[in-house]
Amino acid sequence: MMLEIKNIDVFYGDAQALWDVSLAVEEKEIVTMLGANGAGKSTTLRAVSGLLKLNKGSISFAGVRLDRIKPHQIILRGISHVPEGRRLFPSMTVMENLMVGAYVSSAWKGRASSANEVMEIFPVLKERRNQLAGTLSGGEQQMCAIARAMVSHPNFLLLDEPSLGLAPVIVERIFDVIQRINQRGVTILLVEQNAHTALQIAHRGYVIESGRVVTEGPASRLLQDEHIKQAYLGL
Amino acid sequence: MNLKLIAEQLLNGIVLGSMYALVASGLTLIWGTMKMLNFAHGELYMIGGYVLYFSLLLLGFHPFWGILLAVFIAFVLGLLMERAILHPLLDKPEWHVSSIVATLGVSIFLQNFALKAWGERFKSVPYFIEGTLDLLGFRVAYQRILILLVAAVVMVGFWIYVKRSRFGIALRATAQDRDAATILGINSHRVYLITFGISSALAALAATMLAPIFLVNPWMGIPPQLKAFIVVVLGGLGSFGGAILGGFLLGCIESLATVFLSSEWKDVAAFAVLIAFLVFKPSGFFGAKEW
Repeated sequence: MMLEIKNIDVFYGDAQALWDVSLAVEEKEIVTMLGANGAGKSTTLRAVSGLLKLNKGSISFAGVRLDRIKPHQIILRGISHVPEGRRLFPSMTVMENLMVGAYVSSAWKGRASSANEVMEIFPVLKERRNQLAGTLSGGEQQMCAIARAMVSHPNFLLLDEPSLGLAPVIVERIFDVIQRINQRGVTILLVEQNAHTALQIAHRGYVIESGRVVTEGPASRLLQDEHIKQAYLGL
Repeated sequence: MNLKLIAEQLLNGIVLGSMYALVASGLTLIWGTMKMLNFAHGELYMIGGYVLYFSLLLLGFHPFWGILLAVFIAFVLGLLMERAILHPLLDKPEWHVSSIVATLGVSIFLQNFALKAWGERFKSVPYFIEGTLDLLGFRVAYQRILILLVAAVVMVGFWIYVKRSRFGIALRATAQDRDAATILGINSHRVYLITFGISSALAALAATMLAPIFLVNPWMGIPPQLKAFIVVVLGGLGSFGGAILGGFLLGCIESLATVFLSSEWKDVAAFAVLIAFLVFKPSGFFGAKEW
């Protein structure tokens, strides 16, 4: 098991956001986490990244307890997080954003070649390299956010709603890239509201409602599930 | 009105303004990264002045080493202050209030410490370089030329450092989006710590350069602190470019007020401009810009 989330409870102040959530991702898989707005998808990813503390349960990655190390050290384990809403550094250029992605000492030395490498995945970023990230279009910002996460050569990617607010044709292109990244051997945990598209590329899926995991299974089975069809696929 | 007098005063304004810019850039640096106002900034400046005084007059240092020692001690003091006093308040509720109260406390403590330990007598520090330069009929003291040179070198150097170095990248990332910086491996607490040290060092450097002109005393930090707040409002809170532009502008306003009104009126002019900005352009020249 690569990532293992076991029975976690997470609170925002006094409000409980996650109830006994468990989730596992095997090496080289794409696992998607589906659910409505506010169901607890982003909360789960933020807990993995250490931005939120657990009240109960554990999160381990390749046998190491992530909930026991400092948030800024999690990337050193090979986990990269593309947060909800991209969260680029708006007053920095595309290139500077990629340089922040290469901040960890293992990546800093080879930052220039790594940045060029990830810009091969998204050629449009090459044209925009000296443009401020805040002035990019939504699709370009998402590409920049994924590229920024890839500069440190992670083997696990946490993707939070990469399709949010993007035109269908752009979403398709981004999901294409996600699949390509996965084929290169990067394991992916993908949080999505866009259930249909996510289940197209995922191997397995989890459905989360009001902070609890309600269903899980292979993507092909979830696509056939009556409840999911009604609630998330609009069929 | 005598044009030569105006030109000379403007030059003085630029020299003084360069130091306002240096003090204000430390203040704006802290605001930009930690989102707090440091009310003890002027006292770190004051400590810089005393360290210079003692290293020149008691230890017999060359001014260069005295300045370096003052900057270094202020840097370390900044680190200690951040770790001991501000760090425990970070990420707790009411940070905007608690940081002001805490730094105000440090400010009062340091002023009274200086008064008790070093006395209320104003101490004079000799000019680093004697003599004046005669240029196109102007007489400019070498000390003032030195001040301008130091300000230019430090500001340009600091700007390049923030733009290019690994720490500079981490600093700007933390200032713009702390959570995003954290997930990319940046330890924001360490960034805050070092930022505080650098900010204190900038204040102390300005103090050492101005000490020969303004004398060293326990309250010497109050005027530059107030001026730095004005500068930061003129330039836009958190903006480095704004702090520099605002610094020079304030220096020139004060000098011109001295020429056209009288030297007692220069603070009135400075604060009148502050009030005008607060009323008509509260975001300053560059708005609340990010690093």
